[in-house]
Amino acid sequence: MMMLQHGSTQLLCLTASSGVPLFTRGASKQLPFSVIGSLNGVHMFGGGHGVVLSSCETEGGGKVVWRVFQDSMMLIVVSGGGQDGAGDSKEDEVRLQRLLENVWSCMVLVLGQDELTNVRNVERLKRDLRSCFSLIDQLLEDRQEGILGNLTHCADSLLPPNPTLLQEAVDGFAQASDSEFGCLIVHGRIAAATEKWWRLAPPEVVLLSALIRSLSASGSASCDYPVFLPQGSPTVAHRLLRFQLLPGADVCVLCGPTPSLHSAESGMVGRFWTPLVETLRDCLAVGEHSLPRSVSLRPDVLALLLINRETRRSVSCVRTSTNRPLGDPPLPSKARCWEILKLFYIFSTTRYFNQEETLCVSPEERAQRANTDDFVLGFSHQPLQCYLVTEECKSYGLQTPQHQLFLLAPLSVPTFALRTVATQTLSDIVGATGF
Amino acid sequence: MAHVSPSSGSIIVADWHRCKDSKEYFSKILHKKRRKNFGLLESPVMPPHVAVDTVHYKIFLSGKSGVGKTALAARLAGLNIPNMHYETTGIETTVVYWPVKLRENGRVLFFRLQLWDCGENALRRFDHLLPACKEQVDAVLFLFSFTDRTSFDDLSNQIAKWTGAPVVKLVVGTKFDLFMHCDVAERDVRNFQETWSVPVLRVGGEVSDGLGDVASLLNCLAEHLWASGLCISQTPFTAGDRDCTLILT
Repeated sequence: MMMLQHGSTQLLCLTASSGVPLFTRGASKQLPFSVIGSLNGVHMFGGGHGVVLSSCETEGGGKVVWRVFQDSMMLIVVSGGGQDGAGDSKEDEVRLQRLLENVWSCMVLVLGQDELTNVRNVERLKRDLRSCFSLIDQLLEDRQEGILGNLTHCADSLLPPNPTLLQEAVDGFAQASDSEFGCLIVHGRIAAATEKWWRLAPPEVVLLSALIRSLSASGSASCDYPVFLPQGSPTVAHRLLRFQLLPGADVCVLCGPTPSLHSAESGMVGRFWTPLVETLRDCLAVGEHSLPRSVSLRPDVLALLLINRETRRSVSCVRTSTNRPLGDPPLPSKARCWEILKLFYIFSTTRYFNQEETLCVSPEERAQRANTDDFVLGFSHQPLQCYLVTEECKSYGLQTPQHQLFLLAPLSVPTFALRTVATQTLSDIVGATGF
Repeated sequence: MAHVSPSSGSIIVADWHRCKDSKEYFSKILHKKRRKNFGLLESPVMPPHVAVDTVHYKIFLSGKSGVGKTALAARLAGLNIPNMHYETTGIETTVVYWPVKLRENGRVLFFRLQLWDCGENALRRFDHLLPACKEQVDAVLFLFSFTDRTSFDDLSNQIAKWTGAPVVKLVVGTKFDLFMHCDVAERDVRNFQETWSVPVLRVGGEVSDGLGDVASLLNCLAEHLWASGLCISQTPFTAGDRDCTLILT
């Protein structure tokens, strides 16, 4: 059955108990009501027989993933599949599972758990759910290059050239706002944050970053947004104050009833940040590379994603093609590199490496949903490195107790040299930045 | 009304953006022929020998969900207008810098208009948002959509809530270009304007050079704010607001 066009993804949300459709997002052409009904029905049928239907594939390469949250809401995602070379169904399923978790989190972020789990008035809930569409559409489109946090649940970070100054300013600004939670976001990535910000659950940090990115993209000067934290505070809203210091650089705090947006803006923003305008500009100049100039990468590194497993932070970059020797095969485009990086991350973490599970699920459910292949569980040891050579480029993964590095190199690099390239890149970055 | 409405163009030079002598001022709010987006730490910078005062105002956008509050703020600031309607789920403020020349003495001022936009549903769900929007507000723009009759009918209610408040009130009709779907007759608008003696402005249609399509609205707003006599002159980020200089004109 071909339900959707190739490459398109549609999300359905229904009440879990009665199957009332609440909303659908994504894909220009909506699925007919009868198909939505059947998708819900087949899941319910399984439930009646003690079976949890979690995913299925269609002959045309499509994929459906079901998931019930808090016994109250059912999210179904239908993917047309067959995205140009988008990996096999395993990769697709991981991507879709993550998408459902993220969608649920952002529904809680905006509306709070109570409103989603104690449904009194369906019509009103439908209306309120519209408030989540902006974030949900952003997740579905997933168009922002260089942002991998939605997939890795590690915070996309930018390593500024002058970390100490910015750190002090963020700490001071948060304190003056009666808050322990503050962060500075540059180009959509965290450049500095208070210690408490890093102690939020990793998916929350990623989710807040996504919200701040979307607010920042509108070009507005400041915001006062009520937010619920899916794990830390699902029923009591906090206030997220955001100030656009310079276009592309935003400072945020999570706070209680005080200070008011007006007083924080007029009394504190200038005091803490005016002295740092040049530092902020330097930070903006780091750009999408995430890494300061002091880090010199080997010329044969095409793209990389480096995860700190302890702090759950990541840096990533794709380098625009340097002069390629004549006769070498063409390098994949920038957009394609980001795509390959994501696929290789899923490939490695499902087959070889541990994917640090940070999901808000019970241990039983975790076992059930484990994305790890059986044969990995059969290993008596933990693989430390892996590589993959495709027609487009060579990929190398490497993990240490502290880090995971995923690296792309051009086909011209001999395969036997990949390990050296990777280990040296890891030590180059960690040595220069202490990441 | 707290003040006598000025007739259009009586206080500030209308269409000043078309005059030659305005060029050096308007060039400060433009970048590559588009409006410049200023962060909170930035402002238009004039050369040292041309001293220009900046006057700060807070403006609240009021109106039913979907009338186009966020789009109006984006349009006035020259930002990308969202191509799809999403609810604003909290307060978002947008800063607009606009140079203005006073007719009386030829003095030039930069108006810094901070537009406060908050989704209606968010206002309903969270009690603290409306007081935050009302705090020290200088003007309210009441929005209605020409394509939504109920939003027009609701105006009287909305304005009545602000009776007695010393704020400038203007009404803005949005989506004026969608005349095929127009739901509000010109006659109704005229009647309304007479009953409430509140100016009604119209916006809609293509965004052109980033100045012409917003100039009349911004000039009108600036004129009313200036005429209302209450002008807060402050340098950005001085602590405490209302203890700054009050200039009465």
